[in-house]
Amino acid sequence: MKVNPLSPEERQKAFANSKKPEVVRRQQLPVQYHVEDHDLQDRPRRFLEAFAAILKHTNYRPALEHYVRVSAKCSRCTTHCQVYLATGDPRDVPCNRSELLLWVYRRHFTVAGVLRGRLTADPGLTDEHIQRMAASFYDCTACRRCHFECPLGVDHALITHLGRYILSEIGIAPRALVVSVREQLIGASGNTSAIPVPALLDTLEFLSDDMKEEKGVDIPFPIDQEGAEYLFLPAVSDFLMEADTLMGNAAVFAATGDRWTVGTGYFDGINYGLFYSDQVLEKVLLKIKAEAERLKVKKILIGECGHASRTAKFFYPTYCGGKEALPVINIMEYTWQRWKEGRIKLNPDVITEKVTYHDPCNIARPGWIVNQPRELLKAFCRDYVEMTPGGRDNICCGGGGGTVSIDEIRPYRTIVGGRAKAEQIRATGAKYVVAPCANCKKQLRELVEDNGIDCEIVGLHDLLYKAIVFDKQG
Amino acid sequence: MQAWIEFGQGPLFRFAFVLMALGLARIFVLTLVNVAEAYRRNPDKIINYREVFNKTVAWFIPAGRLWRKRPVYSLVSFLFHAGLILVPLFLAAHVSLWRQSTGFGWFSLPQGLADALTLIALAGALILFLMRAFYAPARALSRRQDYAWPLLLAVPFLTGYLMVNVSVSASGYQWMMLLHLYSAALIMILIPFTKIAHCILAPLSQVVTAVSWKFPAGAGDRVLETLGLEDRPTWVDKPRLGIEREMTRELPEVKPAEKEAKAS
Ligand code: SF4
Ligand code: SF4
Repeated sequence: MKVNPLSPEERQKAFANSKKPEVVRRQQLPVQYHVEDHDLQDRPRRFLEAFAAILKHTNYRPALEHYVRVSAKCSRCTTHCQVYLATGDPRDVPCNRSELLLWVYRRHFTVAGVLRGRLTADPGLTDEHIQRMAASFYDCTACRRCHFECPLGVDHALITHLGRYILSEIGIAPRALVVSVREQLIGASGNTSAIPVPALLDTLEFLSDDMKEEKGVDIPFPIDQEGAEYLFLPAVSDFLMEADTLMGNAAVFAATGDRWTVGTGYFDGINYGLFYSDQVLEKVLLKIKAEAERLKVKKILIGECGHASRTAKFFYPTYCGGKEALPVINIMEYTWQRWKEGRIKLNPDVITEKVTYHDPCNIARPGWIVNQPRELLKAFCRDYVEMTPGGRDNICCGGGGGTVSIDEIRPYRTIVGGRAKAEQIRATGAKYVVAPCANCKKQLRELVEDNGIDCEIVGLHDLLYKAIVFDKQG
Repeated sequence: MQAWIEFGQGPLFRFAFVLMALGLARIFVLTLVNVAEAYRRNPDKIINYREVFNKTVAWFIPAGRLWRKRPVYSLVSFLFHAGLILVPLFLAAHVSLWRQSTGFGWFSLPQGLADALTLIALAGALILFLMRAFYAPARALSRRQDYAWPLLLAVPFLTGYLMVNVSVSASGYQWMMLLHLYSAALIMILIPFTKIAHCILAPLSQVVTAVSWKFPAGAGDRVLETLGLEDRPTWVDKPRLGIEREMTRELPEVKPAEKEAKAS
């Protein structure tokens, strides 16, 4: 896919740094996102210590070792990164981005590198190199698209993840993410949006009343139901901002009659650990486990959210019991299954506008959720069109990897990161862009607004709510 | 001269070949050991083997994935690799040398096909070299060894082709043989220690990546213990501040908008 090059004005706007110069100087960090103050003393040495400790206890070494050996610099991956397509900057070629960290590994953690360093009196890792990594690893959205295009299987998103993890251990991580995680793990509310339980209950009651009025049937949000089949965990921000999605979720359960529950002990699917820290990843999943055990549920059900679904699906077994861990499913999988079984009825005449589907990277890339939402949409949307490329090979919205939560880099996200996506959306001419992910929705809304595209970004269940019919209705 | 050629055909070839074989075997086994170790230390044994397998073979089958992007480059690159692998292994002259010295021999290519593959490999090397030099993103990625490899690989092919197909003087032939033998030996010696190691490691890439995405349980805590920071996890307030001595060094000037200057 070709992307229009950036104009000089756009370039300037996208890369302007909104931070105060004295902050940049104080923190020695010319990056666009805010970082909390951290120790600057000997950053390179501390980076290497953290790197060594991480290598010792984790599984990254095989990948680093392998990538260092095989990377052929063949340049195939250049066609696949939405960031490079927009900037054309060699530093944004995926292979070059990963090289930042692979170089450190080769130089400091392989025998040949250490020897060569001694012989040539090469100073090794410098503070400038750390600054470059801090910028580059947050330019990448960790969308994994480039992984598909590398014949040698280099996974740049894994390297980005590791790079960010090491950086976070020396205090460099976006403040936006750190603050949310702090609230989630040790704050009073225990969730990333700081929603207190009474406010949650109010919201859900209010939504139920609304639905009763609109659909004429009781559509409850069951709370703390012990022994329910499913523990429901959406991205917690849905409770604040995505009322329509939640109503769709609840309506589906009202139609199927399956037992589900929202737990007041813990109700947040968001897990920023995926974006910068394995330790956070684990702690958040353990919170889910504790709630699932408290309520004795049988399955973990994640709402419309890409990274929440991926962290639970692919890491819940890691931290919560391997093959014996509770199964994890995504709400779209659930709805699709029940619809296939004929337990959900959809009116095909409600949605007549043109609809298209954006694949959230985290659920589409592994090939996990690609066709289910499409089949559902085709069943009740008269005018459904595809975006190309789509499915597993989709283009990232430009806000992946947690960057969407970093408000201060919005111009970068909507001018550079989402550039390819904006053109794709414009080309479909769709009225509704279905983006079943809290992160994608926020990013795409900002993207269409900043790029002057006339369309509405919705979740799958938002539309489904309009089309679902109840026998008792009317 | 003849002595040098005999050295190249005998001891040097044997040395280079054994070094290559052992070197490749070593990294292959090491990689497998790494994978097994990573698999063992993680409680989560759920790996999508079908996916790993599919992704692995997809790159070896010249349909599907390879052609979707940059088809011309893909075709050149594929043919180049085919020539590179097939000719040295299955050239009739090579096979008969093996048969003479070890008693083992195997299937060999008809000479016409071998010649064609040789020419293709040569053309491929040239095109890949030019592409590296003139296609901007490729140039941005390239190190010195990346330019050197296609040229070095072309030497034994070119000399081999000339020896078979062009009549040259006896001394010219000897020179070519010398170049042929010594460049081939150099290549074999370098293979395990350079990016050409991918000739044996490429089939393991997907499985390596798959196990690397399995993060061992409890690793985050152990990392902090090792660092002596177990009471300062990254999510507490000011986790990485005031742990160490006061700052002593004067800080250099940092420009706020380094990225503005990005290649325009
Ligand atoms: S993971 Fe996505 S954003 Fe990052 S380098 Fe690859 S394609 Fe680009
Ligand atoms: S496709 Fe793979 S080997 Fe080729 S340049 Fe990109 S990362 Fe490197």
